[in-house]
Amino acid sequence: MSVKISPSAGLAARVIVGAVLVYAGATKAAGPAEEFAIVIGSYDLLPRDMVLTAATFLPWVEILVGWSLILGLRLKVAAAAAGSLFAAFLFALLTVKAKGIELPNCGCFGDGVHLTLTQGLVFDSALAALCWLAWKSAPAPLSLDSWTEGGYTGRDHGKR
Amino acid sequence: MMDSAMDRMTRLAVSAALVLAAGAGSFLVARGGVKPYSPAAPGYRALGPADAKVTIVEFSDFECPACRVAEPPMRGILKLFDGKVRLVFKHFPLERMHHHARAAAIASECAGRQGRFWEFHHDLYDHQSEWPSEKFEERMAAYAKNAKLDEAAWKACRADPAVDAAVSADVKDGENAWVGSTPTFFINGKRFVGAMQLSERGTPWIEKELKK
Repeated sequence: MSVKISPSAGLAARVIVGAVLVYAGATKAAGPAEEFAIVIGSYDLLPRDMVLTAATFLPWVEILVGWSLILGLRLKVAAAAAGSLFAAFLFALLTVKAKGIELPNCGCFGDGVHLTLTQGLVFDSALAALCWLAWKSAPAPLSLDSWTEGGYTGRDHGKR
Repeated sequence: MMDSAMDRMTRLAVSAALVLAAGAGSFLVARGGVKPYSPAAPGYRALGPADAKVTIVEFSDFECPACRVAEPPMRGILKLFDGKVRLVFKHFPLERMHHHARAAAIASECAGRQGRFWEFHHDLYDHQSEWPSEKFEERMAAYAKNAKLDEAAWKACRADPAVDAAVSADVKDGENAWVGSTPTFFINGKRFVGAMQLSERGTPWIEKELKK
């Protein structure tokens, strides 16, 4: 059975997830990558020579995926990318929990907001669920997708 | 009509540009303005020749365990590049976590004003497990004695608001340079955070800078 998502619920979901991603990405991108690299390194998931590269690019991925969601550009792809990010974050947090690693900071929002491990798990799970709502809401009105396709034409919008 | 004139690809390109512009805008808003940052410190907090080709500016907190861990690699670097690098120490006490850090920074600063900063510095890191406690004053007095300080002058100095202000000025410099954790090193301006980045990437970077 296909689940129907109202356009306003879809819009709310994508704006919430997008805003969180933009805020999280911008606070990290604005600070030094070397600081964020310390946090990524403490998860002990990536090879050490990849940590600084990840710390440099991950915040920009969050920012661009976030704005794509808010503005509705390639909405399905953006929602899937955001969902993948939150799935990866959840995996990282669960790994830390399993290994018993004490994180100084989850790295979710740079130096701004510090979440505990449990808070991070709940937060990322909720946002992953909203990503699913955003994904199901595509194609959506009030989106760049609808403008690109020449106007929103309902659920069959964009289908050829 | 303009809308009908724009084909799908053009609209897609405009949409992508809009997302990129919004991304760049949010970055610039989060970053804010560039604030002034001075890597300078009084001479007693510097080691090595003033005209060295490589200057390492260290923002550190005496009570921070990661700063103690970074001490051996830093001493190793100074030994390896003896006479070629200059180390400048800047105070960055993380007072929310380390309740004795500012007082230790002030005590070391006052040792510095008697020309004994590095002796005091070494004692604080080498005995870090001992002094951040109710024995703080007793331990500080012992390190002052080890450093052969004039005790009366050292005690008077610790009460001097100007010394506290000097520590605050370093903290301000660190904040302006986006120092978020300690230890943070700037080697000829390039940032390295923590002992691991210093050990793994700092030495090759110094070698590269010395070859210039």
